[in-house]
Amino acid sequence: MTVLPITAGILVAGGVYLLCHPSLVRIVFGITLLSHGANVVLLSAGVSAWRGEPLTGAGSPREAGDPLPMAFVLTAIVITLAVTVFMLALARVGRDDDTRHLPDTGEDHRA
Amino acid sequence: MTGQLLPLMVVVPLLGAALGALVPGTVARILLLLGPMLTTTGGIALLVTHRDTPVLAHNVGGFVPGIAIPFVSDMLSAVMLTVTGLATLACVLFALSVGEARLRFFPSLVLMLSAGVNGALLTGDLFNLFVFIEVMLLPSYALIAMTGSWRRLGIGRLFVVVNLVTSTILLIGVGLVYGVAGSVNIAVLTEADADDPRFQLAVAMVLLALVIKAGVVPVHGWLPRAYPATSAAVMALFSALHTKVAIYAIFRIHQSVLDGATAWMTVLLVLFTVTMLVGAYGSLGERMIRRSLAWQMVAGVGYILVGVGIGTQLGLAAGLFYMVHHILVMGSLLLCAGAIEHVYRTQQFVGLSGLMRREPLLAVMMALGMLSLVGFPPSSGFFGKVGIARAAAELDGFHIWLVFGAVLLASIGTLVAMSRLWTEVFWGPPLEEMPSRGKGRTDALVVADDARIRLRTLAPAGLLLATSLAIFLVPGPLWEWCLQAAEGLQDLAPYVEAVTGK
Repeated sequence: MTVLPITAGILVAGGVYLLCHPSLVRIVFGITLLSHGANVVLLSAGVSAWRGEPLTGAGSPREAGDPLPMAFVLTAIVITLAVTVFMLALARVGRDDDTRHLPDTGEDHRA
Repeated sequence: MTGQLLPLMVVVPLLGAALGALVPGTVARILLLLGPMLTTTGGIALLVTHRDTPVLAHNVGGFVPGIAIPFVSDMLSAVMLTVTGLATLACVLFALSVGEARLRFFPSLVLMLSAGVNGALLTGDLFNLFVFIEVMLLPSYALIAMTGSWRRLGIGRLFVVVNLVTSTILLIGVGLVYGVAGSVNIAVLTEADADDPRFQLAVAMVLLALVIKAGVVPVHGWLPRAYPATSAAVMALFSALHTKVAIYAIFRIHQSVLDGATAWMTVLLVLFTVTMLVGAYGSLGERMIRRSLAWQMVAGVGYILVGVGIGTQLGLAAGLFYMVHHILVMGSLLLCAGAIEHVYRTQQFVGLSGLMRREPLLAVMMALGMLSLVGFPPSSGFFGKVGIARAAAELDGFHIWLVFGAVLLASIGTLVAMSRLWTEVFWGPPLEEMPSRGKGRTDALVVADDARIRLRTLAPAGLLLATSLAIFLVPGPLWEWCLQAAEGLQDLAPYVEAVTGK
């Protein structure tokens, strides 16, 4: 019973730690951890140890896991995936925060 | 209009976005114009419908209420749809006139953004609110990255990260609400036990996320930094849509789900009045037009939400009225600033001077907009502040002084900040004789002597400003709608009945 909250807590703590770094790649990892934490929280709302598997014939529907949070999590995962890809692209084309090296584009970075 | 048509408000812009991506060029730009026009028309149709039927609802796919994805429209969402549609239209016209709309995916992205906004305003379910806010945000990330320079890309990161973390908080909040109440349907949640501390905590998570998105002090820091880094058209678009959708959701959730939570009134009022003050005086430290205006946006959020803090029907209506005013006026000021930038290639105070003689029409428009922000007649801002003062006058002793004092001090702050902007940009020697121009970092671009802002670049700002003036002359209808919207937030029976069919 306590596994889910502890997992969520560790994921969120790790995510927040990574978010405190200036490098965008670390931030992407941080956000990934955070959103997994959020997914675990969502799951704990309906599919916890006190519910059975939501499969036909595995038990009575009254005891089966709630499918709605699973649908929530699926939606959230898709959104996180899209955003992660976008942020990795930003990390690639934008400034390199780790080494303070500016890509040579001929554009003025000061203004 | 019937409930079955509500999903079209989302479907039509989304289809337009897809079509615009497939067929670029003129077709895409026509679609870009049609999208916000249809939204505004739909909003007006809903306004007319809601005079007789207070609430329209539709469960997508005909699923049973509680499981289905509900679309609900009442007076509040109808007013919001109309105003955001109008503001989007003005921003789109501006983008077309300065050529920004020629960027390959600009029309599709704006239409997608508009679909997300319409969805968020019409959804009757917290999880779908999260989904539609994401639908709004994803094209916004791309718009920032697309219309910006390298520096803008760097600040775009700030916008992306802040919004992502906030969305995660929102998602966790929604999960907790589901865990406690067993539903995320707003109509079902109105019957949940609002005194249960677990439920309150869960809803508070949702509200926390929305407050960050709205830019309330002390979680406002990202807004004045991220918004001015985009182009003027995109900033005006974001200012009319992003923060305002979050504020709309706060109105809805705080009133319907938490029953107004009157015990927290003092805390809320303090938070929102501080937001007013910080925003109003924040402008004083800025040296660029749009950065200065961005702080006034924060102040505006404070004024609007004070209505929620007061929590009476009058208070909610006044907040809503102020929101309509703020969307219109802020949009017109930002588009004016964008017109200056388009012709004079800078928005820094150092590089601008003496525009009053050079651009008389622009000067008049910006003066009217600024007076409106401060709250002077002749503009909608006057009645916005009168409404808030009237609602606050019904509070008890301490709260009256809190709200009155803050409104007064914040208005003085806005007045000082705006007169500073005015002196720097519109007064002073003519541009050619200005000594500071051409020195330092802002230099390089020399403006031709006969370069003037074209009328059709100013027209979109004029459209919004004219609406604001019309509201000053005839405030009655809008005030009636706002009162009805506030009533809909307090008397929830029609809402629940329309959604759950009970």
